[in-house]
Amino acid sequence: MQTQFYARTIASIGDAFLYYRTELLRLIAQMGLGTGALAVIGGTVVIVAFLTVTTGALAAVIGYNQFADIGVEALTGFASAYFNVRLAAPLTSGIALAATIGAGATAQLGAMRINEEIDALEVMGIRSIPYLASTRLVAGVIVVIPLYCVAVIAAFFSARLCTTVIYGQSSGVYDHYFNTFLYPMSLVWSFLLAISMAVLIMLVHTYYGFTATGGPAGVGEAVGRAVRSSLVSAGVLTVFISLAIYGQSGSFNLSG
Amino acid sequence: MITLATASKPAVALGGFFALAWEALLLIPRRPFALREFFVQSWFVARVSLLPTLMLAIPYTVLVVFTFNILLLEFGAADFCGTTAAFATVTQVGPIVTVLVVAGAGATAMCADLGARTIREELDALRVMGINPVQALVVPRVLAATLVAVLLSSVVITVGLAGGFFFSVFVQHVTPGAYVAGMTVLTRLPDMILAIIKAALFGLAAALIACYKGTSVGGGPAGVGNAVNETVVYTFVALFAINIIATAVGVKVTL
Repeated sequence: MQTQFYARTIASIGDAFLYYRTELLRLIAQMGLGTGALAVIGGTVVIVAFLTVTTGALAAVIGYNQFADIGVEALTGFASAYFNVRLAAPLTSGIALAATIGAGATAQLGAMRINEEIDALEVMGIRSIPYLASTRLVAGVIVVIPLYCVAVIAAFFSARLCTTVIYGQSSGVYDHYFNTFLYPMSLVWSFLLAISMAVLIMLVHTYYGFTATGGPAGVGEAVGRAVRSSLVSAGVLTVFISLAIYGQSGSFNLSG
Repeated sequence: MITLATASKPAVALGGFFALAWEALLLIPRRPFALREFFVQSWFVARVSLLPTLMLAIPYTVLVVFTFNILLLEFGAADFCGTTAAFATVTQVGPIVTVLVVAGAGATAMCADLGARTIREELDALRVMGINPVQALVVPRVLAATLVAVLLSSVVITVGLAGGFFFSVFVQHVTPGAYVAGMTVLTRLPDMILAIIKAALFGLAAALIACYKGTSVGGGPAGVGNAVNETVVYTFVALFAINIIATAVGVKVTL
């Protein structure tokens, strides 16, 4: 049932581009800036930036203390280039995406289902899965691209600020190790990881919204269930993808 | 006037939140204490949070341990990985996973439940019967979430350390004794106490936000969905902020 829904959603992406372009654009605008009370505080972008600033700072805190323990705190820049790109930024932006855009999509679709608006769409001859689910999937993936750029930059910036200003490391040392260990390929992989996470999260969230039952309480429960399962699946996905991409050696060469 | 109404909305919401939080905190020592509701809610939050906790704690620790071990292996200092695992789990991963679970699982379920009651006008019915809904519903929920958050953070730390142990010993071939011996090098009792205090603060803040959003729902099914959505966002933001502040204060105190 769930897999069938996912397969149909992915298969109808083409239809979404062909027939429902206006709806797609409307959703992209809505997701980027958020709706209602969220838009007032700056929307999804601000939330993503805020969450990654905090995790970037945490990466610097762990990295600096851990490396200071064995006398190589100069390598904190490495930790930022490495840890932020591979773990912190994809995971955090995945979480932020699930919390803001994903949960919003579940709430909207669930309310439509409860109000029998989805049945009304079907009666009018509009295929509900391409119109509602596939458009949201595409919009989520498009929105995550700029959001992810913001996330990575925010994480780098906050890790640098934390190390150089709070711990008082000289910025030249930090920048040297940061630039040495920032592999362009890791960035590309981490970008792909973020995009695949967006696909997964949007699929999970549209499914739970689409199949909400049981009145107003059901919509709330569907949102809660969707957030839980997408958080868990984002975590598991990150582990498997990063182990698959970076392998056990971590493609990291310090001693040459 | 429309712009004024829109602009004052966050201020009104913030004021409402603090009014509810203040009232709930004042009512905690008052009788009658809703003991049965407290136990039911504790079990409810624990039930919805336990599986996500386990499923999130393992990947996070494995990732952190794995990433830092790669570097430590390069130095030939892999025996220090117990130190990394303990430090990362107790001070950072533990609180963050607790945040995610408490906000993503506990607070959403709580807000959905309260929101549905508000929509069905059950809260108004309670008021008519002379029962203060804050005392009957909000106080036990806030206390339950605080208790469960503390318990969950202990679970996260235990699971994280065990996961890190298995990963380091069986995948990256670290000596088991070295792992265990390294755990207490950087992480000591004050760090543990700080982790538990943080978890209690998370539970308290998340439950207050969830209860405020749940009791101020309006506008039918879409309203409940939006309230849950906003709960997730606000609790994430609030809890990450609390985490940073508590870490900074804790570092000052323990040093």
